[in-house]
Amino acid sequence: MLHLKAHAAILKAYLKIMLTYRGMMILHLFRVVLMPLVIAAAWLSIEKADGNPYENSDYLLYYLLVPLVMNLTNSRSVFRFPVSVRDGTLSRELIKPYPPLMNIVIESFTNNLQMLLYLVPFTLISVFLFQSHFDFSFLSYKMVPISILAIFFGALTRLLISGSIALTGFWLEDVTTLNLLLNGSIWALLGGMIIPVATFPEKIRQIAELLPYRYMLSFPIEIFSGRLTTLAIYKGFAVMFFWIIIFSFTARFIWKRGIKIYSAYGG
Amino acid sequence: MKISTPNCDNCVFTEELGRDFNIRQKSQGLAASIKNFIRPSYKLVEAVRSLSMRIGFGEIVGFLGPNGAGKTTTLKMLSGLLFPSRGKLEVLGHSPFSREREFLSQISLVMGQKQNLWWDLPPIETFEIHRSIYNLDEKDFRGRIEELIDMLEISDCLETQTRKLSLGQRMRCELAVSLLHRPKVLFLDEPTIGLDILMQKKIRKFLLDYHARFKPTILLTSHYMDDVAALAKRVIVINNGLKIYDGLLSDLTEKMQPEKIITVILNSETFPKIEIPNVNIVSQESNLFRLKAPRENVGKLAAALYNTGLTIDLTIEDTPLEDIIGNLFTEKSNFQQFRTNV
Repeated sequence: MLHLKAHAAILKAYLKIMLTYRGMMILHLFRVVLMPLVIAAAWLSIEKADGNPYENSDYLLYYLLVPLVMNLTNSRSVFRFPVSVRDGTLSRELIKPYPPLMNIVIESFTNNLQMLLYLVPFTLISVFLFQSHFDFSFLSYKMVPISILAIFFGALTRLLISGSIALTGFWLEDVTTLNLLLNGSIWALLGGMIIPVATFPEKIRQIAELLPYRYMLSFPIEIFSGRLTTLAIYKGFAVMFFWIIIFSFTARFIWKRGIKIYSAYGG
Repeated sequence: MKISTPNCDNCVFTEELGRDFNIRQKSQGLAASIKNFIRPSYKLVEAVRSLSMRIGFGEIVGFLGPNGAGKTTTLKMLSGLLFPSRGKLEVLGHSPFSREREFLSQISLVMGQKQNLWWDLPPIETFEIHRSIYNLDEKDFRGRIEELIDMLEISDCLETQTRKLSLGQRMRCELAVSLLHRPKVLFLDEPTIGLDILMQKKIRKFLLDYHARFKPTILLTSHYMDDVAALAKRVIVINNGLKIYDGLLSDLTEKMQPEKIITVILNSETFPKIEIPNVNIVSQESNLFRLKAPRENVGKLAAALYNTGLTIDLTIEDTPLEDIIGNLFTEKSNFQQFRTNV
C-alpha cells in the first residue's frame, strides 16, 4: 500500500517518456502485428487437415486477437535487467526505499499499455472491415471478464519466467540466448503463436496444456472465443497458478543469491 | 549480519570489514582465449581487506587513497549495495545489506551525475517521483525544494530535460534530489569530478552550508584534495584495502610534511645570509625565492626576512595536499615512513 503513490508516479513518468518517442512506438506496432498477420494468411491459404477443429473464421479471429494478447502479456524485463547489472545502474534502484525491480516491471507494463493505443483501434477496424468473415456465434459476454483474468495471470506467468531468466544476468553476461530458447522459440511454438494450441495433435496438445507457455497467449483467446468448457477453464487456471508459484520461488531464489554476488560496477 | 548490541554512539561502525571480488582472468591471444574457454581462471581480489572504523553522528569524514584502494567499495558496502565478504557492519543501527525501508529512507548515495535523476525527464519530474518514493509530505516537500533550489541555484534548469543539462547543472540537481528526503547519512563518491573550479567551489560551499544547517553525517571520497580539505577535518586513509590512517587532516599533513613553503619577493636578486637551521632555497626566479623550512622555524624565518629590510612580499603555504597524498602512495619509502610515523 505504501508504494502505491510511487507506482503511480513512475507509471506516469514512463508514459511521459514514451510519448516523447512516438516513432519507436509505431515501429513496435508493425513488429507486433506483422508476424501474426503473416501466419494467419498462411493458415487461411492452406488446406486444413481432417479433424482440425478450426475453420478459416476461427483462424481469423484467433490471429486478430494474438497481437492484443501477446502485447498485454509481454514482458521486457529480460532485456532491461541484465543491462542494469552489467552497467551498474541497478545500484540506483537498490539505494531507494522502493522494490528495486518494480521500476523495470512498470516500464514494461507502460510499454504494453501504450501499445494498446495502436492495437485496440487496429483490432476494431479489422473486425469492422472483415466482419462478414467472422463467426461470432461462439462468443459470450460472460467470457470477457474471465479472459481478462486469464490475460492478467498469463502476464504474471510471463513476467515471472522472463524475470527468472533476467535474474540470471547476475552470472551470465548475455541472457538473450537463454531467453530466446526458453521464452522465445518454445513460447512461439507451444504458446500458440505459430499454431493455435487447440489444433495441435492430441499428445502434443496435452503436453502444451501442462507447460506454462499456452497460458501466456492461447489460453485467454480460447476462453474469449468460447472454445473451452468450464472444466477446461478451471484446469487451465490451476496449471497457470502452479507455474506462477514455481516461478515466484525460482525468481526469489535467484535474486537472493544473485544480489550477494552483485559487484555494482559502474553506475 | 546485524550486530547484537547496537552502537548507539556511532552512526557508522565497521569491524574487520572486507569484500573480495572474483575477477575472471584472460590473457592476450586466441590460444589464451580457447584455454580460458575450456578452463576459466579467476583471481581473487581483496578490494577491502580489513577495515575497522567508527564515525559519529554529524561528522564529515574524507576517504583518501589511490585508485583501487577500496574507497568506493567501502561506500557501496556502507550503503547496502554490496554484500560484505567478512566482518561486521552497521549504519544507523541497521545492517545495510538488509535494505530495510527505514534505513534506505535515511541515507543517500551520490555517485556521478546519473544516480538519481531520470535522464529523459526534467529534474522537477524526478523530484516529484522522489517525493512519492520517500512518501514526503507535500508541504515539507515544497519547502525543501524551494530551499534546495535557492541554495544550489538551480531554478533555471528545473524544466529542461536532464540529458540536455550541463555537467555542473546535473550535479547540482543530483545533489538536490539526493537531499530531498533530508538523509541522516550522505555518501558522496567524487561529487565534484569533471566540474570546473568555480562549480567545485559552489558544490563545496553548498555542502558546508547544508551540513551546518542539518548536520548529516557525510562520508566523502574525492580525488580533488581541495574537496577533502574544505569539507573534512577527519580523514581515513586506505591503501590496498587496509586502513593506514584515521585522524585529523591537519595531523596528517604535519606528519607527512613537517616543512612549509615560503615564497618571498626581495628588492635584490641575492638572498641575504640568515642564520636559521634547515632553511633551503628550492628555486629562484630573478628576485622571487621559494624556500622550504621546518614548521617550527617558519616564524623566525619570516621575522628575519622582514628585518633585513629587503622584503617586498612574503607568503607562507603548506605543501598542497595533492602532493602530500601523491607522494605518500607513489614512493614505497614514503609509505613505509608514514606507517612508522602513525
